[in-house]
Amino acid sequence: MDNISHLGEGFSVALLPLNLLLSTVGCFTGTVLGLLPGLGPINGVAIFLPLAFAMHLPPESALILLASVYMGCEYGGRISAILLNVPGDAGAVMTTVDGFPMAQKGLAGVALSISAISSFFGALVATVGIVLFAPILSGWALSFGPAEYFALMVFAIATLGGMLGGKPAKALLGCFIGISLAMIGIDSGTGVYRLTFGNVHLSDGIQFIVVVIGLFAVSEILVMLEHTHSGAKVVRVSGRLLFNAREFTSSVFTIVRSAFMGFGIGILPGAGATIASAIAYTTEKRISDKDGTFGKGDHRGVAAPEAANNASACGSFIPMLTLGVPGSGTTAVMLGALTLYNITPGPLLLESRPEIVWGLIASLFIANVLLLIMNIPLIRLFTRMLAIPNAILVPLIASVSFIGVYGIHSSTFDLTLMVILGVFGYILRKLHFPTGPIILGFVLAELMERNLRRALAISDGDPWILFSSPLAIALWGMAATVLLAPLIWKLARGGFKRSPVSAMTVDEGVPADDTTRD
Amino acid sequence: MSDRIFAVLWIGVCVVILYQMWALAVPFAYEPVGPKAFPMLMAFLMAACCVVLVIKPDADVHWPEASLLIKGALLVAVLLGYASLFAWLGFPLATVAMALMVSRLFGGSWLSSAVMAVIIGLLGYLVFDRLLEVSLPLGLTRLES
Repeated sequence: MDNISHLGEGFSVALLPLNLLLSTVGCFTGTVLGLLPGLGPINGVAIFLPLAFAMHLPPESALILLASVYMGCEYGGRISAILLNVPGDAGAVMTTVDGFPMAQKGLAGVALSISAISSFFGALVATVGIVLFAPILSGWALSFGPAEYFALMVFAIATLGGMLGGKPAKALLGCFIGISLAMIGIDSGTGVYRLTFGNVHLSDGIQFIVVVIGLFAVSEILVMLEHTHSGAKVVRVSGRLLFNAREFTSSVFTIVRSAFMGFGIGILPGAGATIASAIAYTTEKRISDKDGTFGKGDHRGVAAPEAANNASACGSFIPMLTLGVPGSGTTAVMLGALTLYNITPGPLLLESRPEIVWGLIASLFIANVLLLIMNIPLIRLFTRMLAIPNAILVPLIASVSFIGVYGIHSSTFDLTLMVILGVFGYILRKLHFPTGPIILGFVLAELMERNLRRALAISDGDPWILFSSPLAIALWGMAATVLLAPLIWKLARGGFKRSPVSAMTVDEGVPADDTTRD
Repeated sequence: MSDRIFAVLWIGVCVVILYQMWALAVPFAYEPVGPKAFPMLMAFLMAACCVVLVIKPDADVHWPEASLLIKGALLVAVLLGYASLFAWLGFPLATVAMALMVSRLFGGSWLSSAVMAVIIGLLGYLVFDRLLEVSLPLGLTRLES
């Protein structure tokens, strides 16, 4: 019952007036960013991160703000999915399938409210899961040596590469590009300059924030130029705003099943909300679609992906908080936020800085309640935000991004580098490179290299140390399995069947690069 | 085709990385793995992925038509200009100029773009610099006042 008292301390942090205010602001702007097509959680968190740091917020407050934005985005994505048939973020792709038909039938209010309550329940299950499992996992992770850590990070990269449908080469290449970007600058072990090409500004390496904003704000702006709204019709919210008792009772089991499924998938490093919502939807369709109503506006088809989506978003905090290895692009950005504050993430974090970890967990509960309150009565306010034209939105995003990056080091070189990285990110995204692995690679690079070098220093250069413990061997085995399984699966089934996830995202007309941006 | 071009170019980048790391002079190392090995490993892995892409590229990318590409280039130019003039012009002036041009590129009318640009420039400065204590440059504006 230690956890309960820790959680109590967490609440005393999260309920401080400043943190409560940040939660509210984060939830509100997160929902708005989530509902705007194109902008998702990773963009929202990326834009807020430098601001939080430049505003000199203490680390726990910064994380609370970022986590609220993240949760808000997961809630907001469904609004445009239901009303516009355009997913506001990658996790909401499956919500369009039944959500939009419901809206066309005049049940937009019902779809919005049932998805809100599903989101709430999904996030709640996952947050309770964090309270139960995080301490166990971090206690277990304390026994990890450098070799095990290295294997764990290889596993995280492999999951990301193997899970992304038909493009393992691109996901892996993206990850290696991220790692290589992080190699630039002074090497902490020997003090030599690597890949700086004689540029003084690069001797400290590329700042994490410059990469994040470049890849997720600047490149997003360039992509938005192509998708300037072509007058998509927003379905008006009319009729009942709330689901009735019959609709609720018929979806209870759907919600519960999907929430647990989403949580399980969220814990896996590398597999995020997009995959969770897709799997939950297809499973639910198999289990409960007896009359063939799925895809034609069944409220359970809205409940399932939303519960899974939010559960997996919260679940992905577990590997980040306990192992220091993020499970998704967005948690990778948050992990980077910790390193900005000179806090080393990992299993020790729970003991050394409990106010950060438990404050964050408690704030997830608070954000979830705030979001439910915001999302049922205030839904009409949010639907109006869908009408914000890009001509207002983009200059705002651009100036806020520049403020954040400049506010940290007051360097115009960083600003220029950020724009260049943004163009690079745009090209990668046009080529359908997933962007999540790049940032994951960038965040993990230093840790990976340090652990590899430490492990080999212990063994005096003998590489067998990497495979010396049963745990390390198991992790290598898992990494090999997730990488090779889809390949073998494909060969076994005749070589041209696409995996269900990638097939579905392509069918929905959403660029497949969106699959990692959760 | 786009995939192939990118992959070939990136193999070039990998070669540059490999050469840079190979030529790197490390005074002395205390550990068996020096600073060279890991980046070189990454360059090899990247090159391997690129070879896969050259052999088996994805379906070709749909690039936007010329008029949009010109707009995109203009947008990049505006952002680069904003980046380099940010400190010299000062946040309020630079932002008004950037916001006006970007808003026009995204289809805003002259009037609404101008109004919004002034609002973002001034309000942004007041909110972030004065209220939230994120220090922003005043640049030329300081000299005038």
